[in-house]
Amino acid sequence: MSTNNNVMVSIDHLHKSYGLEKAVKDFNIEIEQGEFVTLLGPSGCGKTTTLRCVAGLERPEAGEIRIGDTTVVAPEKEIFLYPEHRNIGMVFQSYAVWPHMTVFDNVAYGLRVRRASSNEIKSKTMKTLELVGLDHLADRFATKLSGGQRQRVALARAICYQPEVILFDEPLSNLDAKLREQMRDEIVRLQKEVGITSIFVTHDQSEALVMSDRVVVMDKAVIQQVGDPQEIYANPVNSFVANFIGVTSLLEGKLDARDGEVCSVDVSMGQGVEPLRLRAVGAAGAKPGDKINVSLRPEDVTLHLERPQGTDHGNLIEGNVIDTIYLGSFLEGRVRVGPHEIGIQIDHFENLVADQTVYLSFQPEHGLCLAN
Amino acid sequence: MTAETYSSKAVDRSRLHNRLRAMVTQENLITIVVALIVAGAVLVPLMVLFVSSFKVLDPSGWDTTWGFGNYVTMFTDRIIPKAFVNTLIISSGSTILATLLGVSLAWINARTNCPGRSYLEPYNLIPFFLSPFVGAIAWHNLGEPQTGLLNNLARAVFGIEGAIINIDNIWGVIWVTGIFFAPLVYLFVVGSLRRMDPSLEDSARTTGAGLIRTTMTVTLPLVMPGILSGAIIVFVTSAGEFGVPFKLSAPYGWETLTTQIFSKAVGDDANHYMGAAMSMALGVITVFLIWVQQRYIAPRSFTTVTGKGFRPNVLDLGPWRWVAFGYNIFFILVAVVLPIVCLIIVSLHPVWTGKIVVADMTTINYVKTLMWWHPEAISAATNGIGNSLILAFGGASISMVLALVISYMIHRTKGFGVRMLDFLSMVPIGFPGIVLAMGVLVTYIQTPIYATLWILMLAYITRFFPYGQRNISSIMLAISEELDQSSRMAGASWFTTLRRITIPLLKPGLFAGWILLFIIFLRELSISIILFTTGTETLSVGVYYLTNFENEPLTSALSMAQTVMLLIAIYAFRRLAGREALTA
Repeated sequence: MSTNNNVMVSIDHLHKSYGLEKAVKDFNIEIEQGEFVTLLGPSGCGKTTTLRCVAGLERPEAGEIRIGDTTVVAPEKEIFLYPEHRNIGMVFQSYAVWPHMTVFDNVAYGLRVRRASSNEIKSKTMKTLELVGLDHLADRFATKLSGGQRQRVALARAICYQPEVILFDEPLSNLDAKLREQMRDEIVRLQKEVGITSIFVTHDQSEALVMSDRVVVMDKAVIQQVGDPQEIYANPVNSFVANFIGVTSLLEGKLDARDGEVCSVDVSMGQGVEPLRLRAVGAAGAKPGDKINVSLRPEDVTLHLERPQGTDHGNLIEGNVIDTIYLGSFLEGRVRVGPHEIGIQIDHFENLVADQTVYLSFQPEHGLCLAN
Repeated sequence: MTAETYSSKAVDRSRLHNRLRAMVTQENLITIVVALIVAGAVLVPLMVLFVSSFKVLDPSGWDTTWGFGNYVTMFTDRIIPKAFVNTLIISSGSTILATLLGVSLAWINARTNCPGRSYLEPYNLIPFFLSPFVGAIAWHNLGEPQTGLLNNLARAVFGIEGAIINIDNIWGVIWVTGIFFAPLVYLFVVGSLRRMDPSLEDSARTTGAGLIRTTMTVTLPLVMPGILSGAIIVFVTSAGEFGVPFKLSAPYGWETLTTQIFSKAVGDDANHYMGAAMSMALGVITVFLIWVQQRYIAPRSFTTVTGKGFRPNVLDLGPWRWVAFGYNIFFILVAVVLPIVCLIIVSLHPVWTGKIVVADMTTINYVKTLMWWHPEAISAATNGIGNSLILAFGGASISMVLALVISYMIHRTKGFGVRMLDFLSMVPIGFPGIVLAMGVLVTYIQTPIYATLWILMLAYITRFFPYGQRNISSIMLAISEELDQSSRMAGASWFTTLRRITIPLLKPGLFAGWILLFIIFLRELSISIILFTTGTETLSVGVYYLTNFENEPLTSALSMAQTVMLLIAIYAFRRLAGREALTA
């Protein structure tokens, strides 16, 4: 239990299962006032279930959730507050804008439920609509709106009565790519402007990295890593996180030896005549002989068409080009090195052909050793 | 210059010629022929009915003059104005009761954690398939002040004097009609309740609204178009219902429009022209209401379904779920179990005095009403089973073929006259059976088909083929036209495509529609009662005959036989059509 007064949402030892299947296992986090936290993971990882437990739309079996000073659910103490008693706002994946009401009525709903005066309803609702840029459509029926406009209505509806926390359940996944980016930036702008504590669920890692103060990566009902976006990207704690966040090549191997920070890892997997050793960092607890994955981001790998001279290249490996993919502003390539494929990024046009021999180099601090 | 004008004229002419040629295709010809047949069947009786309503029978009953006399009589008559008012009261009352029951049951089954709700649903729907006339007979035997089973039970158990209920009045009609038509409203709303995106309600909850407020401001308004549609259909069906008021209110002084039309169609003071005028009055009201429903209410339905992120989401009623369960069981008890048990008990007694006498129990009533070879058999009853089976098999089959052809034309050809066909297959839905039957009666009374089963078959099909047509059309709309087109692309002819692709895809719908019509025809009363003669009695007419001229035990026996046949058909319907067929 925290004594920090700034904590707005705290989740302690949350457990939830559907039948025999564990949906959330021992989830813990404390979210500060005004913080934007993203729950990130593949579908079925338990992120939405966690969010719905906070909302009161699901009942956990064990644990405790507090919003502000109020315990909203604690099965052990037989506490359960219905969603309407939690002072939250929620934005759903399907927008869930009520088609039988106007935009104004949708947004004013929360204030009306809270028995605000009609003057207050009018002024606050219009102010919120201005905030999301829909004040000119107040009298329009929700069925006459585009997807992006509906999402703005849903957002306005959730913030209009100034709840303590706002919950987002994959709100951008129904929008097309252009609109998604635009709405993403708008949500961040609004969140900073209103200063409201936010929990955002998504399976899109780029959304998570761009929007969040902190990211919670989940897989198989369990938190894998919590950290700010840079930390998650630069120092993933395991192969799942490394693979899920950004693009990475994972090279399976065995720890050979360790020299302080730097490990020597044999990634030849019993193939080839002589062992292929890479120097990389991390895997603090691992002993020689342990299985290790070396994680390598494409942007950290340097491509050489000729064998480079000098020794300042850290690791230098020889490989054959598999193929390249044209992605507009840059090229993505795959290079076969022994039993592995390594992804590379080529930002200027290189005329690579399949099976061409190339050389790859990377600095030891860019290779990250991850225990399985 | 002139040459140019000339040639452009020639081009115009040949264009016109080509367009005319293009219009004379096989598809168009078939569409026109079918449209003409349907138009003949649907429009001719209604037009003759309209014309006949302006013929006024002179007091001696031999000659007619043209005029508005029949319509004047409707207002000046001693009984008819009251019958109007009674019809209005009965329809309004039944609509309110059926809507309350239907919506609440649908909500309980689709949106709450009421125990056993998926097992209860089929039983909630059973009254939809049974005969309301038989329901009225059963409830008469349950709630008649002297001989009613429930009243006798109350006297025996509580030792009270008199009766706890009296079903033989206008409120009894509302009660029976309401519980029997509740499934109609249920079917109109349960689909949208079940498929509604749960986040529409969730977002009301997270925005701060409680369970009741969410239900009142979000859930119910979203299904309001369905509720209104169901309510209008119930109103119209109740207004056209003949059996229930005939059994429960007409004998006790509460006539309705339908019982009055009936008495003008047959009996001592028969006056077909007066009957036609009253039918017109009833028909105008029902057509107007159905038009409002089709034009303004049905298109207003909200699309609230989302494909994504869908999870079954039911409301936790807490301890109240047992109240919901009890309510549901109570409905099944009064609408299905009690009537059937009562029919069985009464049918086993030689005479019914309101008391169960185990020693007297006999099967003689079943012998007399079912075994046509038996010397004591009552032919009006025994004829009914054979005739109804012929009408149900033949009528359902012909209707479905017609329905298939019409649906195909409407949805798969761009033929000329398709809109007309669409309109024509809507018209019969607006007219109560008894109104259409009056039309058929005045149209065909002097032709050879009068007094044969053919006239019944013709009226059945005309009135009910739209049900089969809508059944097929809804599936045809759901099946992509590209499936047909792919077959044509693969080299199959139009007919091969129909046989190998279209009909197999429609098969479940064809079966479901066939059985639905079979059920409707097996219990049909209000058309049959106008058009039958000795020898062409149907099952329901047999029941009518027995209740009018024989006794309650015999009536109950034949009613029970009809109910068993209907229950078997319902079982077949569910097996063939699947449980989603009605509610989807």
